Amino acid sequence: MRGFELVHPGSLAEAIALLDTDDDRVRPFSGGTALMLMMKTGVFRPSRLVHLGRIGAAHAAIAAGPNGGLRIGAMATLTAVEHSADVIRVAPVIAGAMKRLANVRVRNVACVGGNLAHGDPHMDLPPVLAALGGRVAIAGPQGTREVAVEHLFSGYYETVLGRGELITEVELPSQRGWTSAYLKCTTRSADDWPALGVAVSLRRAGGVIAEARLVVSAATEKLTRLAGAEAALVGAAADGTAFARAADAAVAEVELVEDARGSADYKAQLLRVHLKRALAQAVNDGAVS
Amino acid sequence: MTIHRPLPAGQVGRSVPRLEARRKVTGRAEYVHNLVVPGMLHTKVVRSTVPHGRILSIDTAAAEALEGVYRVVTADDIRTVVPDPWYGPAFHDQPVLAIDKVRHVGEPVVAVLAEDPYVAAEAAQLVVVEYEPMEPVFDEIEAMTSTAVVHEVLKPAGTFPDLKHLVGRRDTNVALDYRLRRGDVDAAFAAADRVFEHEFKTQQVMHTPLEPMVSLAEPGDDALTIHTASQSPSFVRIEIARLLGWPENRVRVKVPYLGGGFGAKLYIKLEALVACLALLTRRPVKWSLTMEEQFYTITKHASTFRIASAVKDGHVTGRRCEVFWNGGAYADIGPRVTQKSGFTAPGPYDIDNVAIDSYALYTNRPPAGALRGFGIPQLVWAYESHTDLIARGLGVDPVAFRRRNILREGRPQATGTVLRDAAIEGVLDDIARRMDWDKPFDRGSGTTQRGRGIAVGFKASIAPTTSVAIVNVAADGSANLYLSTVDMGQGSDTAMAQIVAETLALRTEDVKVVHPDTDVTPYDMATLGSRSTFHAGNAVKLAAEHARDQIEALAKSLGLPPGSNYGPADLFKKKYGMQAGNIIGVGTYIPDYKSPAPETGLSDNVTPFWMVGGTGVEIEVDTETGHVRILRMVNACDVGRPLNPKIVETQISGAALMQLGFTMFENMDLDGGQVTNASLADYKIPGMHDVPDEIESLITEAEQHSGPYGAKGVGESATFGVSPAIANAIHDAVGIRLTALPLSPEAVFRALREAEGNTGTDAK
Repeated sequence: MRGFELVHPGSLAEAIALLDTDDDRVRPFSGGTALMLMMKTGVFRPSRLVHLGRIGAAHAAIAAGPNGGLRIGAMATLTAVEHSADVIRVAPVIAGAMKRLANVRVRNVACVGGNLAHGDPHMDLPPVLAALGGRVAIAGPQGTREVAVEHLFSGYYETVLGRGELITEVELPSQRGWTSAYLKCTTRSADDWPALGVAVSLRRAGGVIAEARLVVSAATEKLTRLAGAEAALVGAAADGTAFARAADAAVAEVELVEDARGSADYKAQLLRVHLKRALAQAVNDGAVS
Repeated sequence: MTIHRPLPAGQVGRSVPRLEARRKVTGRAEYVHNLVVPGMLHTKVVRSTVPHGRILSIDTAAAEALEGVYRVVTADDIRTVVPDPWYGPAFHDQPVLAIDKVRHVGEPVVAVLAEDPYVAAEAAQLVVVEYEPMEPVFDEIEAMTSTAVVHEVLKPAGTFPDLKHLVGRRDTNVALDYRLRRGDVDAAFAAADRVFEHEFKTQQVMHTPLEPMVSLAEPGDDALTIHTASQSPSFVRIEIARLLGWPENRVRVKVPYLGGGFGAKLYIKLEALVACLALLTRRPVKWSLTMEEQFYTITKHASTFRIASAVKDGHVTGRRCEVFWNGGAYADIGPRVTQKSGFTAPGPYDIDNVAIDSYALYTNRPPAGALRGFGIPQLVWAYESHTDLIARGLGVDPVAFRRRNILREGRPQATGTVLRDAAIEGVLDDIARRMDWDKPFDRGSGTTQRGRGIAVGFKASIAPTTSVAIVNVAADGSANLYLSTVDMGQGSDTAMAQIVAETLALRTEDVKVVHPDTDVTPYDMATLGSRSTFHAGNAVKLAAEHARDQIEALAKSLGLPPGSNYGPADLFKKKYGMQAGNIIGVGTYIPDYKSPAPETGLSDNVTPFWMVGGTGVEIEVDTETGHVRILRMVNACDVGRPLNPKIVETQISGAALMQLGFTMFENMDLDGGQVTNASLADYKIPGMHDVPDEIESLITEAEQHSGPYGAKGVGESATFGVSPAIANAIHDAVGIRLTALPLSPEAVFRALREAEGNTGTDAK
């Protein structure tokens, strides 16, 4: 890799203008933890990197909303999210997932926006945010828009983000009454990319499951919401029978990818087992008040 | 653990903190990686993209045209400085750059030179090499009979007398066939009550030193200096001098600290190419590999081991071993692995009738060489899994069955060499006792099933090899130790300084160890195979004793009575009238050895010492996913008398954890000879979260009477038992037997389903 241009815009508008180009070798750069790996291996050779450091502070706030929701600035580091009192109170599942997300050195510099925009299906945070009903705010040359995290990904390392667009914020709806869990599973070293990630969120009312959001990642080409499994839960009591039915539905509805971490058949078994365990754990942990 | 009585000077047996520790943690330790010299060029090589093929053409025009490129070099250029550019420790089979054909993906074909390493890397991408593909062979069993032949003719180096019979052999992939016959194996099998037969496999893995290989050559006036991260500076000097046709003293090899070696940085790796490039360009040339490139440079042998045992009255009476070593495209030290490890293939058991056939095979994979255990972990994996299966087959407790058959002190091993100073039973007993083997064990419940397993192995030292050491006592009584042993993280500087300090009654911290520089430090065969503590340690002790004897003679010549309290500084002053002079002690050590007879493979003195190591584990299996969690791991080794107990313990735990990675998940994924996971992102090594919940390192009570202060090597011993102990524990927990590494969760899960009679994993 030889030289490239590194620019430091002083405003969001300037950053968007610098990114508004046909050159696919122009990329935004926040924590850089994923991009640097791609650059080192020659997978990505930038012509220009738009460093977001100078506008970071303005987009790094983490704050609980008045009605049980949460807003996380896209430039918040994963460490800031991990230790935020608001995150721990409103969505403890996020803080819990951080403990085994990469390592402390990566978490200290990697940012929430980049973690989502990278489009890597092996990341831990996207399925968790999707299961919590999260939405991202996006700013671009044509203005701003919002997209649900579950609809952000269009394929393997692909997102719906357009030319010049940046994620500016993640917004979570009220978590009151919801109970959530995230389980991931590695099949090689403990710090490997997960073979499977499962995030679940349930709201119970009147002794039955009223609403469910279930998301699978890592074993699939992109983060995928499990509509069939959710349907198997809604209206049922939160017990092993319902969880087993949901697990069967989940295995039936997703296409699992074979790779060095396991065959598709084996990942089906991992999904079946871990979905049941995640549901049991969510129920066991109890709802956020 | 044993507390040895301290020695008189209190230096040997003391857990001296590593002499270099402060330098390392403060970033002051020297590494070749950080070395920059004026006028230096960087090189990047263009590597083969096919596993086996004839080179039709090489087009370097575009690379040469790139701004900043200094020169592009092919094998034709190399031959202008080295007419016969083939190197290797056992066979002269490896070209400095590919000649006529390539034998594995990743083989260096062209070298690009530039002052900017990024320019060199970019230019390397512009070189176009055209190949005519040839039929490849990847599997070690197929290589025995395949029509694909990796090397048309075998070219053993003259160094090893026992490879002479291979000279000129054609159209075979068998680089070495080692054979041992002892007793009457057929009769033992014919008379057996029971016969057990199994096949075990291991996968190709890599050393993964965190400092990738790096070498820098500086041309001088009729001389060459090579700074290199090498475990074998003396060998590099000899081999480079041989290639150039120069006397040894015109080649200077300097080695600072290494960021790990594990056998990867042995013999010649990058040195031949940087030497040629420096002579071609008359400029210093540095070659630094990336992590990815290491996967194409040297690896650990994949293997297949067929083992059969005859059992009569509960004793193993006969054993047949057939071992196939996948050596990849170049022999490196593989033929020595085949022989030196081959003869311990029946394991540490007292078996009268033994047949061993051990084959080193060429294939079109990246080359394989020595990796922490020199083939022994592959063998122990097989014979200790097999031994467990026999015990279970006979309905005998696995530890009791081992005790019944174990090779005891004074009994002949398979080669006929009588076992001396090898605490095999002691290691087994220590592990069993520590694990409360005779007490009831919590076997878990539901989807969490628990089990435990044990395994022991042993290894002969590579022989015969030589070490030379020089101890220089200065006029104030302080001492320098000149030694070509490489401290690659194992702590040899500290251990060797302790030997000097004990002998000369100094503080270890006051002994300075001079790092390998072949213009300054004397010959040492190499830092490999756990040989340094014993061989270099004996040479160091002899050198220190030589210095001590001269100090005593000096005292006597000055008319001082024996036992007078004059220290060396006083003696020098008395002798020379001022603080002046030196005393130089020299020690050379080579143990006795008898090469195995070619026909029978037998020898009554096959090794100067035995290494013994064993492992016990308690594990938990998740029966729904196949995940194995190691709750407890106990490793015990016979290290003789520990020179530095703390360093010994870290060598034991380090070796066991490295083997844990090879056991549980490390695996080079190959597709048509290409490594598809050649990076730390995709090739996973153990991290802190993979360390067992409890891990213990036991030093078994022992003494190596021929070793320096009773010590012997320790770097590899704790690798031996890890893989089979875990497989045995999985069998104990859930009743399934895995016969191939790694023991992945999916492999466990599939075996569980198969045992249930449901071969399909999951009906969708």
